[in-house]
Amino acid sequence: MNPRLRAALIAAALATITFQLVTFYVNGWPGPPAPLFVFSTTVVLAAYLGTGIIAWQRHPADQIGLLFTLTGYAWFLPQLLSLHYAVPFTIAGGTAFVYQGCLGHLGLAWPYGKLRGRADRVVVAANYAWNIASPIAANLFWNPRATGCSAACPANLLLIDDSPRLYQDVGQITTVLGFPVTVAVIALIVVHWRRSRGYARRAMNALIWVSIPVAGYITILNIAGLVDLSQYNVLIYEAGPLLLAAPPVAYLVAALRAWRARGAVSSALVSMEPGPHPAKLRDALARALGDPTLQLAARTAGAAAFTDTDGATVDLASLPAGRMVTPLDTPGEAVLIHDAELKHEPELIRVAAAAASLALEHARLQAEIQVQLDQVRASRARIVEAGDAERRRLERDLHDGAQQRLVTLSLAIGIARDRAAGADPDLEALLESASKEARAAIAELRELARGIHPAVLTQTGLEGAIQALVERSPVTTQVRAVPPGRFPAQVEATAYFVVSEALANVAKHAQARAAVVTVREQSGRLEVEVSDDGVGGAQAGSGSGLAGLADRVASVGGSLTVHSPPGGGTRLQAVIPCP
Amino acid sequence: MPVTGPGTGPGTNPGTGPADDAPMRVVIAEDSVLLAEGLKRVLADAGFEVAGLAADAGALIRLTGQIRPRVVLADIRMPPTQTTEGLEAALEIRRRWPGTAVLVMSQHVETQHVVELLAGDPRGVGYVLKERVADIAQFTDAVRRVAAGESVIDPEIIARLVARPRAGSPLESLTDREKEVLALMAEGRSNQAIAQQLWMSPKTVETHVGSIFTKLDLLPDAGDHRRVLAVLAFLRQ
Repeated sequence: MNPRLRAALIAAALATITFQLVTFYVNGWPGPPAPLFVFSTTVVLAAYLGTGIIAWQRHPADQIGLLFTLTGYAWFLPQLLSLHYAVPFTIAGGTAFVYQGCLGHLGLAWPYGKLRGRADRVVVAANYAWNIASPIAANLFWNPRATGCSAACPANLLLIDDSPRLYQDVGQITTVLGFPVTVAVIALIVVHWRRSRGYARRAMNALIWVSIPVAGYITILNIAGLVDLSQYNVLIYEAGPLLLAAPPVAYLVAALRAWRARGAVSSALVSMEPGPHPAKLRDALARALGDPTLQLAARTAGAAAFTDTDGATVDLASLPAGRMVTPLDTPGEAVLIHDAELKHEPELIRVAAAAASLALEHARLQAEIQVQLDQVRASRARIVEAGDAERRRLERDLHDGAQQRLVTLSLAIGIARDRAAGADPDLEALLESASKEARAAIAELRELARGIHPAVLTQTGLEGAIQALVERSPVTTQVRAVPPGRFPAQVEATAYFVVSEALANVAKHAQARAAVVTVREQSGRLEVEVSDDGVGGAQAGSGSGLAGLADRVASVGGSLTVHSPPGGGTRLQAVIPCP
Repeated sequence: MPVTGPGTGPGTNPGTGPADDAPMRVVIAEDSVLLAEGLKRVLADAGFEVAGLAADAGALIRLTGQIRPRVVLADIRMPPTQTTEGLEAALEIRRRWPGTAVLVMSQHVETQHVVELLAGDPRGVGYVLKERVADIAQFTDAVRRVAAGESVIDPEIIARLVARPRAGSPLESLTDREKEVLALMAEGRSNQAIAQQLWMSPKTVETHVGSIFTKLDLLPDAGDHRRVLAVLAFLRQ
């Protein structure tokens, strides 16, 4: 809004309000008005002029500010009555109902100051015409002296025939003729309300609430022109005008709400969990913007059509009337499709679009990281698997190669020794010691191969392999439970190495008297526990065998926990997912 | 407790079965040709008739069906999977031809294999470490013992079980002599064989055996071929 225009509007409003108050008290006619009347008329004047400036400022392109302003000044015109000079007095009498024409216009142009069609224009014009014509017509026959004043009476310049009778008849006829116009205005407002959708609905709801006091007040004024309601004069003429302040108040409340909605948009999105699902993001935006019809649509690279969060295809080129597209600033193509009425709240849409872009970008990054994390996990699992396969191969090579050759060699030595028996004691002794060496080599090689990979694990599974570990443990060790079946090779190998490493630690560090091994299969996972009654104080820190073991368990998506208070024994637990 | 071994004991001529005087027929399953040939020679020298050589489990079962040997000597690990097909073939042979004795040779000191092998009927079944072939007399003795219906478990495996630390176990209350007797029982030896090996009278062995059973709270099973399983189960606890 042009600052000069704004300054002029503010100055004019202040001058008008001041002028009205001054005329009331300095020059009041037929005497100083009642304080309640002064209060209510001034409140209504200030409300319309003030709201007019605010609305003009908020939406310079819309005419709503202008309409509020005009209504305010139209409300001011009849108050010129207080100046008991002929010209202002006559003007006041002739424009007594112009503000009602403005109110009808405001109602039908709500909320942005634009009439929607021909019917609106016809009814608004009729409303203006009636509200301008009817007081002029009545004033042709009204002499101010009828109110009882004499010399001090201002002149009615419109007066053509001093006929109280005609004045009354014309007044009643025009009043009756005015009812259909009022009804038409209200009917059209209801039609507008019923047709409103999305964002506009909220503003139209407010209009309906506002129309009730305004239309009610105008109807009572009209009825008072037909029927004698003079005992309610205070209520009707002094307090009643306050009802007319409803539209500015409703507009200001809506403006305040829109202003707060900007904050609500960001806080609604900030309070969502990180990387929200697009459907949840849409819901949050729809709530924050007050547009339940809001759609969030995206198009993947290379795709022709946009898809919204319900999975429906959206053609941006042929959107229904009243829809508007706001593109989002994201690497992928994404748009908000919303009620076109929201174009009147560009700031709100901008904030919403920025917040939505941020949330989508967050979700995209999160998905990307998740993919990378999955890849790293899979690659770690593959590395461990490859390592295991390599160990199995090594064990097999030792078994089928060196071990087998040594066995054959021992057999040959045995045969040779039998041949030498009795004939050559020296040779026999030599061969005997060679045989011993060969057997020792076989035994060493067997334990070496076993340490690389226990054949019994692949051959018979966890039960036999853990039994073998326990039989070799230098600490009294009991197997409490091991499920008998077979499990995936990686699961078995991991569980085996957990028990193996744990029992090795018990032997080396725990100074335990006894250890217990338990393996349980529970809801798709294998729980391995090795506990002892030793000195405790084991740490899964770096450099220890436990850190390597934790890595190994994590490679199959499991977890390792060590509970080892000083002096309280050690309990090592591994949970291994077992699909 | 009257415990008598069904076997003929070491040193007996392998050919003297109850039904025939012919040499005892043996089938060998061993995929290493060199070792198979060595075994064949050793067994032939010891008076057995090596009636067939098989290089895998399938061939072993076929040959056993054709030849119906008295003893089958099988490597535990053979083609094609190189895991425990020798063990499975042994169990299959025992199921199809229950009278056939089976001696499984292995390079693994694994009690799990022993238990699986002996679980059905331990009579005439054995599990020895392959390197036992270095001591030819001991090895041929093992073959003769399974042929005679005894159970044979490699001393190395039993030694490991007996040596296990057992805080609070009744095994701790056995005397050294009783532990020796227990180990020999676990190897599948008869009372008579134990008496010979430990230079005791059969009566003394019986006393030790009774005492061991009482201390370990084992049921004195009438059929003594079950006792190897009972002792083994106790030792694996």
